[in-house]
Amino acid sequence: MGKRSLHNATTRESFMWGWILILPTVLGLLVLNIYPMLMTVYQSFCKTGDFGRGNVFIGIKNFQKLYLDSSVGQAVINTLKYTLFQVPFSVVIALVLAVMLNRNIRGRSTYRTIFFLPMVVAPAAIAMVWRWLYNSRFGLINNLFNSDINWISNPKLAVYSIAVIGIWSDIGYNMILFLAGLQEVPKDFYEAADLDGASGIQVFRHITVPMISPTLFFVIVTRMIAAMQVFDLIYMIMEKSNPALAKTQSLVYLFYQSSFVERDLGYGSTIVVLLLAIILLLTVIQMIAQKKWVHYN
Amino acid sequence: MKKKVCIVGLLLVLMVSFAFASGSSETADKTSGSSKPLSVMIWDSNQEPGIRAIIDDFTAKTGISAEIQVVNWDNYWTLLSAGAQGGSLPDVFWMHSNESQRYMSNKMLLDVTDRIKKSSAIDLKNYPADIIGLYTDGGKNYALPKDIDTIALWYNKTLFDEAGVAYPDETWTWDDVYTAAKKITKPDGSVYGYVNVNTNNQAGWYNLIYDNNGYVISEDKKTSGMDLPQTIEAMKFMEKLINEDLMPPQHVMSESGDDVLFQSGKVAMTTQGSWMLAAFRDNAYTMANCDVAMLPKNAKTKRRSSIYNGLGWAIAANTKRADDSWKLVEYFCSKEGQLKQAQLGVTMSAYTDTSDAWKNSVPQFNLQAYLNMQDDMVIRPYSKNTVKWENAVLESMLKVWTKEITMEAGCKEAAALMNAILAEE
Repeated sequence: MGKRSLHNATTRESFMWGWILILPTVLGLLVLNIYPMLMTVYQSFCKTGDFGRGNVFIGIKNFQKLYLDSSVGQAVINTLKYTLFQVPFSVVIALVLAVMLNRNIRGRSTYRTIFFLPMVVAPAAIAMVWRWLYNSRFGLINNLFNSDINWISNPKLAVYSIAVIGIWSDIGYNMILFLAGLQEVPKDFYEAADLDGASGIQVFRHITVPMISPTLFFVIVTRMIAAMQVFDLIYMIMEKSNPALAKTQSLVYLFYQSSFVERDLGYGSTIVVLLLAIILLLTVIQMIAQKKWVHYN
Repeated sequence: MKKKVCIVGLLLVLMVSFAFASGSSETADKTSGSSKPLSVMIWDSNQEPGIRAIIDDFTAKTGISAEIQVVNWDNYWTLLSAGAQGGSLPDVFWMHSNESQRYMSNKMLLDVTDRIKKSSAIDLKNYPADIIGLYTDGGKNYALPKDIDTIALWYNKTLFDEAGVAYPDETWTWDDVYTAAKKITKPDGSVYGYVNVNTNNQAGWYNLIYDNNGYVISEDKKTSGMDLPQTIEAMKFMEKLINEDLMPPQHVMSESGDDVLFQSGKVAMTTQGSWMLAAFRDNAYTMANCDVAMLPKNAKTKRRSSIYNGLGWAIAANTKRADDSWKLVEYFCSKEGQLKQAQLGVTMSAYTDTSDAWKNSVPQFNLQAYLNMQDDMVIRPYSKNTVKWENAVLESMLKVWTKEITMEAGCKEAAALMNAILAEE
């Protein structure tokens, strides 16, 4: 078949219609995503005045300040700790649950609904409830188990406590995606494995995981990108006076403080550019690793 | 052909609906005009019912209605500046010394100097000069004073009775606070004598500094006073309370909040601003068990100072309803509006001689204490970039409160950070 040429009337028409129909989305992407992203990168090289007026180009001064800022370095570590704790656990738990809820058991829909519920609850409501649960003196967890653990004010522990909330909220979403992926696995594989006398775990390791590895890859990459941007849980659960804040605040939290509280939008943009670079790097690494373990049919 | 007609029809419908979606609200504006409510934005939900009542009276008089939007303190300035940047500020809103210079110098507030001169209800003589000064730039007024607030010492009578300690009175010094706290604090941590989280500065440890003739920021707003020997000496009192565990641990104060701990009967004493009256009045426990006294004085200097501040009612420079907005602000700050504000127990009004009405609004509390604190008032420390250096100072103080560094080291660090930020202004 030769190269598709635009001289053919019908291909030209369908080409034009294709573009007209995707135009709203493309316009939206350009205006609301691409342009702001480029402006942010530009702003990271500027010192912003009040109310966005008077951008003064100052070259790489913001980046030099970033390099010397110890709270940024700590925030990178905090964000990585959060991501590397939250993503694996939420993926593994969701995968196991999806496999279990893929069988025809009684009340399957009820279970699926229950596990998906955290996704539909407003993040502010989630934060308020968990804040009360985690309160070291008057919270439900410490009073129920008679423990005296400072869940969200112990610098060593707080970031993991926040990650637990993240895991709990994400399980439902991941589970739905895995369930969809599991439907694609042909039943013949399972029947053949059954005939050969494979155990549940062997079936899981050698059939299920490789067959849904595309879905797995998608979930891991997107959840990791989302986890690197954690902000609302930390903002709503930990006050500025919290002793654990320095060891928990994420890069987006620092960006919010810089851009919106201290009104230094130039430096805030610099922090965001750093975050962008880190996420890009992690995603590129994952894309390369994809060739090793993801099986596309 | 049919499919094409359908698709074109759909697109047309979508585009037309977008055009109308934005257009319809504009036409509604033009037709309803003055019956559309003014937008009013505030940050204190405790004050909202009182302000609502005052607005209702205003509407009954003039027929102009207004809607209140409450955005809590942490988000208020973010929202307001986003609105300022986007050109869509509320018509009328609160202004604070932290941010007033920034808004005035960027011409975000309506110049009301001439309106004040022409107004029969507003005479600048009737308001504290310091507060008017907060909202004046280049000789022009940009907001009217709404209220003043002072700081006083709240105490829990029940906890004092249990420990057999006499209630605070006007003879108390900060050393008496220490002695009382020592007696009241229980070793099992169920009750503490005092509470002051590091972030409670205006209503907390700032007052100690000025009592000892130190200062937080110099008069010319160029240098920090946090490393002055008088300041460090004053702050060592807080260090004593922290080190001897007479206050709850920092993580408890942070997770639950000063006022909440006080309202739950976990702490016996706390210094709070007069704006907290509504909260303490509406809480059954504090109404039954607590009362308020003047701040203690400094034993050496005999000084009993109170940080004070006053909010302003400001109008957006680009509001489409300047006259109506001015009428509302004029009413808020007129003698009638200010009296009402005091009677409803909202806050101490800025208008002179309206404080008795506020004092009598909740007779169960000794609110005269707040009025007496007006004898020695220091305006809340501010500059063009208040929030930036205030946050830096609070971060240093956090390390002191968690016993990581000494108070002296913390104060010196805070001063260094503050001076660096002030130099950039």
